[in-house]
Amino acid sequence: MLQYTIRRLLSVIPVMFVVSVIVFMIVHLTPGNPALIILGEDTSPKAIADLEEQLGLNDPLYIQFFNWLSQVITGDLGTSVYSERKVTELIFSNFRPTFSLMSLSMILLLVIAIPAAIAIVALRKTVLDPIFTSVSLLGVSIPDFWLAILLVLGFGVALPVFPVAGYVPLTEGMGAWLYHLLLPAFVLAIVEVGIIARMLRDSMLESVNQDYTKTALAKGIKEREVLVRHVFANALIPTTTVLGATVAGLLGGTVIIETLFTIPGIGQLLIDSIHRRDYPVVQGVVLFIAAIYVLVNLLVDLLYTFLDPRIRYD
Amino acid sequence: MKKITLLLIGLIALIGLIGLIGCSSDEGGATKADSSGNDSAEPVEGGKMNVAISADPNTLDWMYTGESAARKIGWHIFEGLFALNQDYEAKPLLADSYEVSEDGKTYTIDLREGLTFHNGEEVTSKDAVASLERWLKVSSIGEITNQHVESLEVVDELQFKIHLNKAYTSLLSDLSAPKHAAVIIPASIAEEAGEQPLSRDELIGTGPFEFDSWKRGNEVVIKKFENYASREGEMSGLTGGKKAYFDSVHFKVVKDPQVILNGMKTGLYDYGSDIPLDLYEVVEAAPDLVAETSNNGYTILTTDKSEAPFDDNKVRQALNAALNKEEIAKATYGNEDFYGLDGALFTPNQTALYSDQNIEGFSGYDPEKAKELLEESSYDGKPIKIMFANSYSDYKKIAEIAEQQLEEVGFNVNLESFEWATYLDKWGKASNWDIVVIGWSPFFSPNQAGMVSQDSNSSGWYNSPEWQQLISDWATAGTEEEKDQILAELNATLYEERPFEKVANVSNLDVRSTSVKSYNSWYGPRSWNTWKAE
Repeated sequence: MLQYTIRRLLSVIPVMFVVSVIVFMIVHLTPGNPALIILGEDTSPKAIADLEEQLGLNDPLYIQFFNWLSQVITGDLGTSVYSERKVTELIFSNFRPTFSLMSLSMILLLVIAIPAAIAIVALRKTVLDPIFTSVSLLGVSIPDFWLAILLVLGFGVALPVFPVAGYVPLTEGMGAWLYHLLLPAFVLAIVEVGIIARMLRDSMLESVNQDYTKTALAKGIKEREVLVRHVFANALIPTTTVLGATVAGLLGGTVIIETLFTIPGIGQLLIDSIHRRDYPVVQGVVLFIAAIYVLVNLLVDLLYTFLDPRIRYD
Repeated sequence: MKKITLLLIGLIALIGLIGLIGCSSDEGGATKADSSGNDSAEPVEGGKMNVAISADPNTLDWMYTGESAARKIGWHIFEGLFALNQDYEAKPLLADSYEVSEDGKTYTIDLREGLTFHNGEEVTSKDAVASLERWLKVSSIGEITNQHVESLEVVDELQFKIHLNKAYTSLLSDLSAPKHAAVIIPASIAEEAGEQPLSRDELIGTGPFEFDSWKRGNEVVIKKFENYASREGEMSGLTGGKKAYFDSVHFKVVKDPQVILNGMKTGLYDYGSDIPLDLYEVVEAAPDLVAETSNNGYTILTTDKSEAPFDDNKVRQALNAALNKEEIAKATYGNEDFYGLDGALFTPNQTALYSDQNIEGFSGYDPEKAKELLEESSYDGKPIKIMFANSYSDYKKIAEIAEQQLEEVGFNVNLESFEWATYLDKWGKASNWDIVVIGWSPFFSPNQAGMVSQDSNSSGWYNSPEWQQLISDWATAGTEEEKDQILAELNATLYEERPFEKVANVSNLDVRSTSVKSYNSWYGPRSWNTWKAE
């Protein structure tokens, strides 16, 4: 197990290297000059040339890449050309709202999807099953930006229950934090709820007709208990795989949701940095997101052994 | 089972209700409580004002940058020797008085007594001279002025002199320009910052508000400066008496205008800037919101005059004859309150600079004449590229309508759109474009007009001895008559040489909550001499 984990962690290195090369090339080959954007269009060519020199933009691309890479290896992702703050510091401060949003979304997702899937398997022979299938399909199909606008108009403007925008850190109070994040977290979760609930339902329905389920029922164990302790537990493996991908989905979704709700998170940082051609920040954020994605997948693989004792990596 | 069915029906009904709420409009002919912003209610001291701005400034150093986001915050913190009044005329602000020598080459400026910086230091002529020395280097307007400045001289604690190499009557216009502004900061800070932008600790000015904090990409907070020394008299533009009623002003970065409007409807923001004009009806329909409009310069089509086909004036004349500007402006800006068809170099509200002489050539729509001119010209039918930044919906609309109108008379047109950063990059090379659609914010002296700056990409490489001569004459024009004559001749040159095609003067749309009282609309949000009703 330990060996497997170490092997997987080492395999992250070439993945991150390839990601860094691709990101660096895409960012630098896209037209746009950070010096021009920082100084504005009515600035003298001399001032722009001076800033280009100061930012090291006049060096050949491969030198810029190796300069950057040698910094990255030491854990230094560089300095933002726009704010002159360390990229690691920027990522850390902007990831906190994003992490809050993702965590709350994940909690909402699990709280809605798991009971819904178990309930619908219990009621699988009723009219509720096709209704559930249609509603969950609707959840998957609704564009999150559209739902966000609708919910803001409904619960932010017409019935002002939630604020239409803004973010308050958890350190300023649980109530205020939840008050500001509940609506965006719900929007972010709802698409994934459809996916997870359907996945869980399908996996559980497969297990329901297995012999061990019938045996358990024949032994007189209550159906509810069989569903939760046996059927649900066995359906967790495929669902966990999808949950891993869901983390990536949530991270991608934050880019739109953070803009719509004015949350100063990593998605906003990435979009702003792309518009400003703030190369070190774009590169740093993409590397960070790639690292999260790789680590979440590793975590999911390791979780399998806990969920199913039959799986062994060594 | 019955309970679950009932629950489900309830849920569906709730979703339907949300949908209905979401789709309903606020139209109802509600009367605005305070449309003018002026009322007789007693001023209220304290509280905070939340202003939603659409962009996070790159720097708050108003001297270093021409960005509008920096201006909107910067003029609360910093002040210059001179500033624009409501009619865009240069008037003293930190300067108490000034004298010009008979030969026009020496300006003697006296500072007001009792001025203090936000750090508690007194403002002296040494600070003024150090600030101006920095401004002459880091500001694009300062660079223009620097061509005329010989030296700066401290006379005593409150008096200093600006020695010019020849008479230059645009000096006060340059010193009062509200971008790359000639603001006064402590000498120690000006010297230490040099040609770098001011750091947060160096954001020390003399304005009615002082810098408090800045969460990048989120909000800038300024707070009331208790020791502010105000001028006497009525507030006018950036000059006159100023009093901060709010304890603090929070400039919140909100990029989506719809979010700004929703936030304003629910009291999250008190003022929202840069709302797209197509949301005007939403603003009008909301009972607690008031539209605030201000001069936003004009939109133009700049031609690349360094290469064929627009190096030929006949082709530029054909372009003018092909464009139905009224149709373009109406389709782009819709409401006539937001645009004006006027060919002058300056906009009508810039009363001291506006001249309506020699502008007949502005609107020469005549498709038949355009075809004839094109026939006589050197145009060989090769496709021309109209380039625009797709982040601005008005540029896109103008480009699309212009494309249709130009093709009707025989131009072969391709449209190319890019996001702003790419656009800026491509704008720098003549081979990338033949026409660009662009807007220019107001400028306050003929020599600040970027769209005709000589031999630069922003003017499409316009080179004109006539224009340069007129700019040179302007610098030494002593009387109002002389200035009027030059302004008329500048207009005439525009329509003889046609360096660009002006489309329309445009207005900017800001939104104010009716709870913000005694507000006076001008060139962007100003949070002094205004307060919020209790």
